Amino acid sequence: MSAAESAAAIQRNLVDLLDFIDWSGVECLNQSSSHSLSNALKQGYREDEGLNLESDADEQLLIYIPFTQVIKLHSIVIKGSEEDGPKTVKLFTNKEHMGFSNVSDFPPSDTAVLSPDNLKGKPVVLKYVKFQNVRSLTIFIEDNQSCSEITKVQKIALYGSTVETTDMKGLKKIEEH
Amino acid sequence: MVLEATMICIDNSEWMRNGDYSPSRFQAQADAVNLICGAKTQSNPENTVGVLTMAGKGVRVLVTPTSDLGKILACMHGLEIGGEMNLAAGIQVAQLALKHRQNKKQQQRIIVFAGSPIKHDKKSLEMIGRKLKKNSVALDIVNFGEDDEGKMEKLEALLAAVNNNDTSHIVHVSAGPNALSDVLMSTPIFTGDGEGGSGFAAAAAAAAAAGGVSGFEFGVDPNLDPELALALRVSMEEERARQEAAAKKAAEEASKQEKGGEEQSSSQEATMTEHASGGTSEADNKKNDLSDDDNALLQQALAMSMDEPASSHDLQDMEMPDVAADDPELALALQLSVQDSTKDSSSQTDMSKLLADQSFVSSILASLPGVDPNDPSVKEVLASMQSQSEKQDEDKATEEEEK
Repeated sequence: MSAAESAAAIQRNLVDLLDFIDWSGVECLNQSSSHSLSNALKQGYREDEGLNLESDADEQLLIYIPFTQVIKLHSIVIKGSEEDGPKTVKLFTNKEHMGFSNVSDFPPSDTAVLSPDNLKGKPVVLKYVKFQNVRSLTIFIEDNQSCSEITKVQKIALYGSTVETTDMKGLKKIEEH
Repeated sequence: MVLEATMICIDNSEWMRNGDYSPSRFQAQADAVNLICGAKTQSNPENTVGVLTMAGKGVRVLVTPTSDLGKILACMHGLEIGGEMNLAAGIQVAQLALKHRQNKKQQQRIIVFAGSPIKHDKKSLEMIGRKLKKNSVALDIVNFGEDDEGKMEKLEALLAAVNNNDTSHIVHVSAGPNALSDVLMSTPIFTGDGEGGSGFAAAAAAAAAAGGVSGFEFGVDPNLDPELALALRVSMEEERARQEAAAKKAAEEASKQEKGGEEQSSSQEATMTEHASGGTSEADNKKNDLSDDDNALLQQALAMSMDEPASSHDLQDMEMPDVAADDPELALALQLSVQDSTKDSSSQTDMSKLLADQSFVSSILASLPGVDPNDPSVKEVLASMQSQSEKQDEDKATEEEEK
């Protein structure tokens, strides 16, 4: 399966969507002030195992990521520890300023239940057809692996392609872990 | 200048008929609300404020967050007192009203006037607080009026659950001659976490205060006389800087006097000695602590890390009792190597003279392990060195003659 997937990935010219994130609009609800979203998203910080995004009042996290252009989202990598890493992750597209109260108001575009493999870095392939026209992505982390009070996320990486142009120079192959 | 949407929760329960705050608790509350609305809208024109009542028939939103001050003041008219305050419901409705604010970029804040006893328990209040924190809503609590047991505890617990980086505050106002609004004016609820609500506060203070302390740093209102306030502030800072410089100088003088005896042999400027005195006093303290025999090397390393000629002078002074007894030539060599850095040519001739000194060289060689001064090869080297030094002296003599 992984061979077919990687072949498919190369076909779709997938890139790390880090460059297309509109940083001025990135928000995260219920994050701890000392362990903020940058630790999980930003280049460099996200590779550092010691720097995590942590939740504050309870174990849920709501992350809002707008993009600078319309993108298609293929897969997502969420890395964390086996105990405190996220378990159920719901993704919503193009819904601005969601709050914890309206996460259940409409169905998510996709739901992922993360296995320990995923937490080590194996990408979660999403329902590509639902993510064809994404201006903003909301990631709702509902609970964590061990139902503890604090959820810790070490890295969040998004892989997909842009809609306007596929920049052949920016083509990066995704390594299967 | 924080962009903020605020919901003010008013207590209009029966307890507000009481007259311990003049003219009545309710009226004092209304005045405070008016002032807060004014301060918020003035600090940032895009701020919005809304008002709801918690008692009466139930929680009722009088006006949703708006930047129109007139609308807010108008809705305060004709409010009726009665019923019991429902704090939990009030806060939750306020949170809902803020969620539906028009400008999503505004920070969310709730200001609660808690004048009557609280019937909720601490646990449920803490849960409400945590929910507010999760949705990044700040909460300001004004505790006044009734003071039954546990009310303060409950409110403090609520604040602790909400507080995120000191964005939430609680203020206790007891009954007395000061009006509720006056007391609030100096609190962070009004001044907005440390920045300028002072403009509005100043106008209000001028109108309401009975004279005396106006609450500003120099007794001058920045709004009424900005140049004077600025001049006073600048002169205060200059004075402070001058005092700090004087204190620093005094400290240096003191340490210099301590060092007095050990410092002479240096040939540097005054500033260098000042530096050195600071450095060497530290070095000395360190050295005095360490035992001589075991840590001689450590002392040397410390002195070298100080990285100043003066300290290496000191190093010599320390080392002399240890090492000099054994090897005066070594000490002399050290001294010369130090002087090398300051005086070049003279030391060279000194060095050559020393090398020419047969006995000196032989004693040095004797102290080196594995070298036997009686060894013929060593003697050859010595002889060649001596002739070299003689040649150097001759050359120098001819040079001087030519000049």
